[in-house]
Amino acid sequence: MKTSKRMSLSEAVALIPDGATVVFGGWTVTRKPMAAVYEIIRQGKKNLHLVSNPGGPENDLLIGAGCIRLCETNYIGHEVLGHPYCFRRYYEKGGLDRTGYLHDDWTVQTGALRLLAGAMGVPFMPTLSLRGTDIINPEYDLLAPHRGKDPKVPRQKVQVMNDPFWGEGEVVLVPALKPDFAIIHVQMVGEEGTVRIYGGPFLDYYAAMAARTTIVTAEYITSEDYLRSQPELNVIPKEVVDVIVEVPFGAHPTTLAGMYDTDSAFFNEYVAASKSELAFKKWLSEWVLEIPDHMCYLEKLGVRRLLSLRADPALGYNAALKRRKKEPQEKTLATG
Amino acid sequence: MVKKLSYTPREAMAVSASRLIKNGDRVIVGTGLPLVAAILAKHTHARDAILIMEAGPYDGYPLALPSCVADPRGFYRVPLICDPVQLMGQFLQKGRIDVGFLGGAQIDKYGNVNSTCIGDYRHPQVRLEGSGGASDIAALARRFYIIIAHEARRLVERVDYLTSPGWQCYRDFSSRKLVRREELGLRGGPEAVVTTMGIMKFDQDTKEMYVAEYFAHLGITPDMIKENTGFKIDVSRAVPAEPPTGEELDILRTLVDPEGIFMN
Repeated sequence: MKTSKRMSLSEAVALIPDGATVVFGGWTVTRKPMAAVYEIIRQGKKNLHLVSNPGGPENDLLIGAGCIRLCETNYIGHEVLGHPYCFRRYYEKGGLDRTGYLHDDWTVQTGALRLLAGAMGVPFMPTLSLRGTDIINPEYDLLAPHRGKDPKVPRQKVQVMNDPFWGEGEVVLVPALKPDFAIIHVQMVGEEGTVRIYGGPFLDYYAAMAARTTIVTAEYITSEDYLRSQPELNVIPKEVVDVIVEVPFGAHPTTLAGMYDTDSAFFNEYVAASKSELAFKKWLSEWVLEIPDHMCYLEKLGVRRLLSLRADPALGYNAALKRRKKEPQEKTLATG
Repeated sequence: MVKKLSYTPREAMAVSASRLIKNGDRVIVGTGLPLVAAILAKHTHARDAILIMEAGPYDGYPLALPSCVADPRGFYRVPLICDPVQLMGQFLQKGRIDVGFLGGAQIDKYGNVNSTCIGDYRHPQVRLEGSGGASDIAALARRFYIIIAHEARRLVERVDYLTSPGWQCYRDFSSRKLVRREELGLRGGPEAVVTTMGIMKFDQDTKEMYVAEYFAHLGITPDMIKENTGFKIDVSRAVPAEPPTGEELDILRTLVDPEGIFMN
């Protein structure tokens, strides 16, 4: 009766059609499913629609590689590791007609509530946030031309209404997120799909519940029986996990709690290259397009480099790691 | 004769910000100087402050400075790991967060903050990372503070994009008329702005920013603040700020950020 959920990374990513709505697990530069992201680029996916969660290198890379049509998100950046130059370039040139990229700004709380609504199967949630801000300014709704036409874009961005029950004033209704795919990288998954996450679970449970199809890449595929020995550490039920793939170092260069730390040197090179279209394309060829698969990526990184990132299990991170010092504050901020 | 301490404006800013946290405050912090200030406060006068990071760590007291709010360093030995639905949708929204700290690229005289873009939203000169949780924290924390470098291009008459609501913000977007945040049902509000030149506060009646304290110990004068502010700012109430102590600087340099993640 049971069919195996195991696939290779390329088989799993091949399930994602062009134009799909995708939510990634993790948080900015932590626990991002980077191996899957590289494979999405290698397979040349087009017109993807990314939703929610603070985005990190996965958003910047996919935008730069031309895979993305629109992002509904609250943040795209590499935190202290540098600015998201591909995102900047695509946004600053502006609009589908110029670069093919559209952007919709939200906040962490409303992104979380939108995923919660998706997970609950309700069409929207109320929030006390957003009032008074340009985030709900209709003139700044870049998706307006697509609302009511594209079935994957909510018919309107928000709806302000008065609390009909307690008379406590205005609330803002935000639409549910209904992603086609959730793609999540974790430390461990059972062979039937039960997910264990060490460190922060972030929004991954809600993403898996909200999505039609969930792909989990994991450092280890282990027995369900082993995961039952400490069920309190398991966070996503097997029934919402459709595909599992074993991908060691699958979050590199981002952090994976208890396993490996951020590869700051890798980020430095990426961020420097992403500052120009030409250098970015060269970087993309070298590290993604010309690399046949994830194992070759790990071979290119090399044993020494990978081992140097290993986390101390007592701390969850690598205390000996040389972390990058911050660039001078926002050099590119224009004087207006 | 006491040896004169030497320190940078950034260090003065971190120390001043840390002093705004009271012992027992429930503080939600973002990446960067807010994190530095909150951890410094925990090491000095506010040991019982509850340090919360929006990605999940609840009541953290990290051994090493987290480089972002999702860094495993921030999760070390916390009593509870939450998720953003809980922290931002429940704790923050229900009014269980006393203090929020925000950074940003621009702030205006009413304490509205922009962390989205410089220039017109549709065709900006520079696109920035975006709100993250800043807008939610500004709307829903019981009080909040802003940390920003003091430059005329950053302290502006009106922000290019209103990401996080201050004392007066928008109801009707087409007229761009400002209304008081209470009228929109928003809680709290910005109480102070810590800059590289001093501490700014907001007038009780007009809600406009004024200079409360200036870093005289760094050679800053009220006139210098006027020159480096992009709107007319009242300096009549300005007094010299209390300089950082040797102990605060020592803890900042040796315990909070010895690697120079955010302080260099």
